[in-house]
Amino acid sequence: MGKLEIEKLHFAYDKATPVIKGIDLELDNRKTAIIGQNGSGKTTFVKLLKGLLRPDSGRILLDGADLATMTVAQIAKQIGLVFQNPDDQIFKSTVLDEVMVGPLNIGQTLDEARASSRAALAQVQLADVEQVNPYDLNLAQRKMVALASILAMDTPIVIFDEPTMGQDAAGKAIIKKVIEDLQAEGKAVLCILHDMDFAAAVFERIIVFSQGQLLLEGDAREVFKQKELLQQAYLDQPQAMKIAHALGIPGDLLTVEEVDSALARPSQ
Amino acid sequence: MDAMTLYVPRNSPIHRLDPLTKMLYIVVSIAAAYLLDGLWEVAAVMIISFGILLIGKVFRNILPVIALSFLLILSIVIVQGFFNPANETLLFELGPIKFYQEGLVIALRLTMRVINMVCAFGVLVLTTSPTELVERLQQKGMSPKIGYVILSVLQIIPQLRATYAKIQDAQRARGMETEGSLLVRVKAFFPLLGPVILNALNDTRERAIALDVRGFDRDTPKTYLNEAKSYRYSVLLNVLLLLILAGLIVWRVMG
Amino acid sequence: MSIIEVKDLKYRYPDTTKLALDGISFSVEQGEFIGLIGRNTAGKSTLCYALSGLVPHFFKGAYGGSVEIAGLNVRTTDVSEVTAAAGLVFENPFSQITGSRFTVYEEIAFGLENMGLPRDEMIKRIEEALDLLDIRKVKDKNPFDLSGGQMQRVAIAGVVAMKPKVLILDEPTSQLDPQGSEEVFKVVENLTKEGITIIMAEQKMEKIAQYADRVLLLDDAKLIAYDTPEAVFSRDDLASLGVQPPAVTAIARHLGKRKATGHYPVDLEELKMLLAEEGAAHG
Repeated sequence: MGKLEIEKLHFAYDKATPVIKGIDLELDNRKTAIIGQNGSGKTTFVKLLKGLLRPDSGRILLDGADLATMTVAQIAKQIGLVFQNPDDQIFKSTVLDEVMVGPLNIGQTLDEARASSRAALAQVQLADVEQVNPYDLNLAQRKMVALASILAMDTPIVIFDEPTMGQDAAGKAIIKKVIEDLQAEGKAVLCILHDMDFAAAVFERIIVFSQGQLLLEGDAREVFKQKELLQQAYLDQPQAMKIAHALGIPGDLLTVEEVDSALARPSQ
Repeated sequence: MDAMTLYVPRNSPIHRLDPLTKMLYIVVSIAAAYLLDGLWEVAAVMIISFGILLIGKVFRNILPVIALSFLLILSIVIVQGFFNPANETLLFELGPIKFYQEGLVIALRLTMRVINMVCAFGVLVLTTSPTELVERLQQKGMSPKIGYVILSVLQIIPQLRATYAKIQDAQRARGMETEGSLLVRVKAFFPLLGPVILNALNDTRERAIALDVRGFDRDTPKTYLNEAKSYRYSVLLNVLLLLILAGLIVWRVMG
Repeated sequence: MSIIEVKDLKYRYPDTTKLALDGISFSVEQGEFIGLIGRNTAGKSTLCYALSGLVPHFFKGAYGGSVEIAGLNVRTTDVSEVTAAAGLVFENPFSQITGSRFTVYEEIAFGLENMGLPRDEMIKRIEEALDLLDIRKVKDKNPFDLSGGQMQRVAIAGVVAMKPKVLILDEPTSQLDPQGSEEVFKVVENLTKEGITIIMAEQKMEKIAQYADRVLLLDDAKLIAYDTPEAVFSRDDLASLGVQPPAVTAIARHLGKRKATGHYPVDLEELKMLLAEEGAAHG
């Protein structure tokens, strides 16, 4: 369930500027992050996965079925996408009603939608504001509402577009837990990220986009240690890795915790 | 994204005229077209407007606007040509529809008045940059707050169009159908319109804060980065236009 | 006299029951760079509004205590005078572009026209701002046609050209990509060199550690700490306050590596030195 195969994907908004220039990829159940400079094609790629855009050539297979044969509404039952700006979707006057929109659209009954929405709100720790108007919350909280609205749709594949932007440490911890819980439920998670530290701490597989093509992909440790290639794509390494290299610690460490373990000595 | 303006930058005498003169021209030209009755006289007023647009090198740009009002013009012709109670003299028949001379004359006159009105507005809108127009009005005492509203509407509405596309994507991604039967489209209305309005309101509130920070509410007299243009013959032309208007009114009243 | 003097500031938004600011007192000297940190609902934005006069003049609500900026009492002074002394830049670049100007150059002039400055002074200040904010190459473009980072720099330029004594930035990079963020931090560094007093609320602790002279830590409407970055990031209770220290400090803490001051280092070079010393001591 939830297997995506992308074959020879090409897409251009207008004939003069191709944006996706040939992508072949298979998404499995490893938590996967897509990183890349603005303009490298990440958001366009994700819109193609959701059927919001249709490829010029190549195809996308979802559990063997070609996405071209499915409507956007049908795809929405299988693939959920949390957009970057929550204000592009919020229109209901209470948080609960807003979260229920997606589940109701894809066919859940009123009771099912209410239950899944409440569960989703609990996951993002907004259970106590379900009757509040979303615009009475701050931007970071509205982002969580948007996140909950996709979680409630219970899709086998979930895609996030910059979920950590504008979040504080607590917010990032909630998102990390949500992603880990999704994986525990057997769901496939794909995340567009600019936050290298979050990517290194949470994701097993990293895909690097550059100018509409895959520059690099693989295991997080393997990808992040390739400093020169990342620089080519105007990307940085995680903080912990840079510190570890500066301190001469071997092992291409990804997180502060790994650096701690490597440096642990009996204290004086 | 371009601002929502019809302004076409060109180097022409009309572009160099005082925006206030052009505004006065709109009043005088429309009034003239209505104060005069004869078909030839109204045609002359309309041709004068064409002439000014030609001198301003923007005649080509008014044609799409006239084309837009074509539907209005067509309905005038049909209604007047067909239904006018003063209809007597039958001119010709097109199948079951009879066209009478009286009605057609009225329709033609009305059509020319509409085209003249569009062209008169065109003289102002096509040859005056919004910034220049607003600054000139402010010089004459219009509140800068109104000037701000006029200019910001021109820019922000096109931005809303971009936002609308993103909103459509977000709602479709949640399983909402936007294509199909009328019922489907009606159901899609609020999920699409809601975020547009809420976004705009939220944006307006934040912008109001930013404007306050930039001193928008200050009592101090405002100065201008752009030098105030001196318009040649401005007074002369304004007086001339006012005289024409006064003359036409007197002529009309006298019988 | 301090450039900012806050005494027992209390504030509650209209139609709410909870205090958004609860008895905050601190002072800032001219030319200082203060980093403002704390979790999302701690009160950072409200404090930024209070320092620029928008609280209470724009937001109304219940106000107690006093804020003095460059000698002006915020509550009793007309808001446009306060905002001229303390300029505010916030999260969303798009909503800070006025929308009534068609080029970046004219956009920066907006605030200057409102101040009633003579034309040659306006031009001088705009030219300075274009260089300070590194936006000269886009000066004739429409502000809405710029990238997020460029738009934010135009917003900052519009405020900086008004020559406020204090510049307040409320999470100016949180909606920007890494490149845009870097651009903004670079120009903020330029501004500190000009001697402007800066208050910046941020979530990127590495940057706070790099630029700030002192760090103001808020939680639940109260001032918890106001001290050097080292001191604040060495606190034991940061996790419960919803704050994550910079990676270097976190690593130093786990290793127990304190400086002579008793605090953990915030700078990588300092950590390297401490480890080297220890290595040397062990022979």
